[in-house]
Amino acid sequence: MVNLTIDGKQVTVSKTATIYEAACEAGVHIPVLCYAKKLMPYGACRVCLVEVEQMKGRLIPACTTPVTEGMVVTSTSDEIVKVRKTVLEFLLVNHVVDCPVCDKGGECDLQDLTYEYEVVSNRFEGEKFDLPTDEVNPLIERNMNRCVLCGKCARVCDEIVGYGSYSFINRGFETKIATAFDRGLNCEFCGQCVSMCPVGAILPRPFKFKARPWQLKEIDSVCGYCGNGCTVTLGTKDNKVETIRFNDKTGVNDGNLCVRGRFGYSFINSEDRLTKPLIRENGSLVETSWDKALARVADGLKQSGSETGIVTGARLTNEELFLLRNVAKALGSENIDHSGGECYKGLTEGLQQTLGLQASTATFPQVENCDAILSIRSDFYETHPVFGMVVNQAVRRNDAKLTVIADKRGKFTKLPEAKTLLHKPGLEVNLINAMCRVLLDEGLAKTERLSGVDELKAALADYAPETVAETTGVSVDAIRTAARELAAAENAAILLAYGLPYTAASKELGIAAANLSLLTGIAGRTGSGLYVCGEKNNSQGAIDLAVMPGATGLGAQQMLSAAAQGQLKALYVVGEDMVSSYPDRKAVELALDKVPFLVVQDLFLSPTAQMADVVLPAASFAEKDGTFTNAERRIQRVRAAVPSPGDARTDFNILSDVLSAFGAQAPATAAEAFAQLTADTAAYQGISLDMLGAQGYVWGTDILTPITRNLVAVAGSKPLDAAHQLLVGSALYHSGTMSTHAKGPMAVVSEPYIEFGREDAKALNVAEGDLVKLSADGEIIEAKAKVDNRLPQGVLFAPYHFSALGLNKIYRGQPAIAVQVGK
Amino acid sequence: MFKEFAKGLSITLKHLLPGNKTTVDYPKQRLEIAPRFRGLHRLVPAQNREKCVACYLCPTVCPAKCITVESAENSKGEKYPKVYEIDLLRCIFCGFCVEACPVEAIEMTGAYELANYKREDFNFNKERLLKN
Ligand code: SF4
Ligand code: SF4
Ligand code: SF4
Ligand code: SF4
Ligand code: SF4
Ligand code: FES
Repeated sequence: MVNLTIDGKQVTVSKTATIYEAACEAGVHIPVLCYAKKLMPYGACRVCLVEVEQMKGRLIPACTTPVTEGMVVTSTSDEIVKVRKTVLEFLLVNHVVDCPVCDKGGECDLQDLTYEYEVVSNRFEGEKFDLPTDEVNPLIERNMNRCVLCGKCARVCDEIVGYGSYSFINRGFETKIATAFDRGLNCEFCGQCVSMCPVGAILPRPFKFKARPWQLKEIDSVCGYCGNGCTVTLGTKDNKVETIRFNDKTGVNDGNLCVRGRFGYSFINSEDRLTKPLIRENGSLVETSWDKALARVADGLKQSGSETGIVTGARLTNEELFLLRNVAKALGSENIDHSGGECYKGLTEGLQQTLGLQASTATFPQVENCDAILSIRSDFYETHPVFGMVVNQAVRRNDAKLTVIADKRGKFTKLPEAKTLLHKPGLEVNLINAMCRVLLDEGLAKTERLSGVDELKAALADYAPETVAETTGVSVDAIRTAARELAAAENAAILLAYGLPYTAASKELGIAAANLSLLTGIAGRTGSGLYVCGEKNNSQGAIDLAVMPGATGLGAQQMLSAAAQGQLKALYVVGEDMVSSYPDRKAVELALDKVPFLVVQDLFLSPTAQMADVVLPAASFAEKDGTFTNAERRIQRVRAAVPSPGDARTDFNILSDVLSAFGAQAPATAAEAFAQLTADTAAYQGISLDMLGAQGYVWGTDILTPITRNLVAVAGSKPLDAAHQLLVGSALYHSGTMSTHAKGPMAVVSEPYIEFGREDAKALNVAEGDLVKLSADGEIIEAKAKVDNRLPQGVLFAPYHFSALGLNKIYRGQPAIAVQVGK
Repeated sequence: MFKEFAKGLSITLKHLLPGNKTTVDYPKQRLEIAPRFRGLHRLVPAQNREKCVACYLCPTVCPAKCITVESAENSKGEKYPKVYEIDLLRCIFCGFCVEACPVEAIEMTGAYELANYKREDFNFNKERLLKN
């Protein structure tokens, strides 16, 4: 700790602090322009100059100068004000000052400083910038005439996002921020640069000319897309969500968002939203009143009673999931499940059998300080981009050693020094087994307190690195190094994402990852963690609240087969488009066709809803109060920002009415439901709503200690023998099927595609944009080709978000699909 | 006492003499109003469009909250007021809007005869304001 004096105030701060940070601590205001809390100090603008008694004779930039013992700092004096004023005059020489039409006006740092320092005239004269604006992409508008060259955009894109879109080009007065070859921006479109730019040089295009910042109402809520659980602050005007505001004070994401969180909000305002309940009459769906629709639902479900199946996505709030479980109880049915029922088994069965847990063992922010990180599947960045940015920071700022076990390359594999164990599809477990074997063979494993060591050793006989190297196509050395690095690291993390497109061997992968976390001591160690992260915003909540089949109940897949055989009387689908996203579309359609009574509760008339007997219009996350639990067990509050369109109602209200129709008691408010559900859920005991502060509340504390430490032997798979194999997965710009209703993500990736590696594309004579056909098992899917260098030879990739592609006609849960390519 | 009384009365009588009238025979006769008079608003036209760039300063500053602006992008990519309305029944003619405007797009004219028959007639939309 260091003591210093700022404007006569004594402060004690850590010795790594800068003068600016110390001033913030002391409550002294120093103006800044190029400083940002989450970026490395840079010192480009010189607005923050202060006087330091020990360094007389010149002014010192507060944002880059570290504090020293006994420093005496003056933050304002006549001279300082004069200098700051001059700095501003310089900045304004070429600045266009078109504040009236600049969307930054009202929250522009340059504008605010100019006002604060009363810069009403300029002693210098110069030509105003007249650079062309970049409006090539539909999401981010760049107007370099307003740039103050603070470098924040370039720094955030490098340091945090790890994409590296921008750099300074030219010299002197001509200096400007540009993309490679000064072309239009074409990147991840996460919008971090938008949120960092202190002026109106980088702006969100969907918000162009929509409103002034002071007209917006801000509501802190939680992103409704992935399990990362980023805080999104909704900016609303006239009951419409107009934009997402920057907020680095609340939540776990430090103000960072991905393209879905920042630009994917528009599905809320979509014209296609359901606004009235629909009921099937004479074969077609017609609009009806809530009374009639609910009466029909109550009648139908009462008749089916315990033979009702309930399926949900993991997008509902905890409170709504709790009510849904009560609906099942009221019906006497144990057939309740979510997210296809398979993909989450890595947690519920895998981690349960090994660690006795059903959740990640640590929180996201601590990964920033990890020395070694193992990501299983490169898709982790695609499914959880903002957590991916934390990994990037660990790699760049902390020199963390990143290893990626992947069947294709991706963002992670491109990070500095990242090592990719590029394997044949479906062989992740083999590789992890081999890593476990290395740890055991080389005596690196921390086996004290573990049970099942000998059994595991015996079972790993077939997984010598040499053998596995041969089956997977990864080098022996790479496997050994990966294992050694993970074992040697003081703080390490293992990441594994799960979701609907990754149903294959989910349980086995969960077990294998848990074995590795036990042998390396990662599970339960402070600073380290095993992260098994759900794809949807409330995947973890659904597992915590046990939205899963009871002892005698059917899981999602069994419900579907029971329905197909005429053994299920009704199916109640809440917030899930089974037809589009579940593996094996034919089987799903057959089941939905056969089931005598189908109720679908959704935002859109999805292909699933089109088959329903009753469709109930539900509300989006922006229209409801409640809580989500993210993939690191953080329970955070979701707040209603706008009313639902038309007659649409929140799932909470609908489920309450369904419960009352059965004569069951429903909690009156979400808060009451929260109190009931915490009392009812072991891990949530004693948590009350007011404990969910700005950072939410992590149940089970930051580090979750394993309850059991069992190593469980698990068998790998054999590589698929096919010339062309299709991988199914997530695209960065989308999440589930919901994002296909949002303008932002659709502006970037608007249609399904089939991705080819360059070599394959050449061999098959496929060019970017060509229409290609893939056939498997007599089914054909067709989409445009996308060609790049992510995929090894013989491997193709298709994202699963688009219903129109019909990918699940050939995807039945396999790790990879043998396909024939045609045109 | 009488002296003061006569003095006062003489002033009153002086005012009764012709040529000393302070009222005018409105509406046959009208006063010339000061150039700074704050009457009905006018939106200033520019080439092919209004001068207003929909910066939202006048609705923000307006103490009576009677100005409605809705901005949008025109075909040239410029910001323009898709909607510009003043509810004259609420306006207090303070002139703050004129003062706030960064591009001198709104002015106040000398028009003060603003009586009308219907409430709607007091709603001045963009077209009417541009004609004033
Ligand atoms: S960047 Fe700031 S100062 Fe420049 S035109 Fe926009 S609002 Fe005005
Ligand atoms: S949107 Fe994200 S990836 Fe694109 S330039 Fe900005 S910070 Fe970089
Ligand atoms: S574009 Fe914005 S963030 Fe980037 S250097 Fe210019 S002012 Fe700074
Ligand atoms: S989709 Fe996930 S990573 Fe992206 S903003 Fe939302 S919660 Fe964060
Ligand atoms: S202040 Fe002027 S430019 Fe701005 S909205 Fe009003 S009239 Fe238009
Ligand atoms: S804020 Fe310190 S130099 Fe820019």
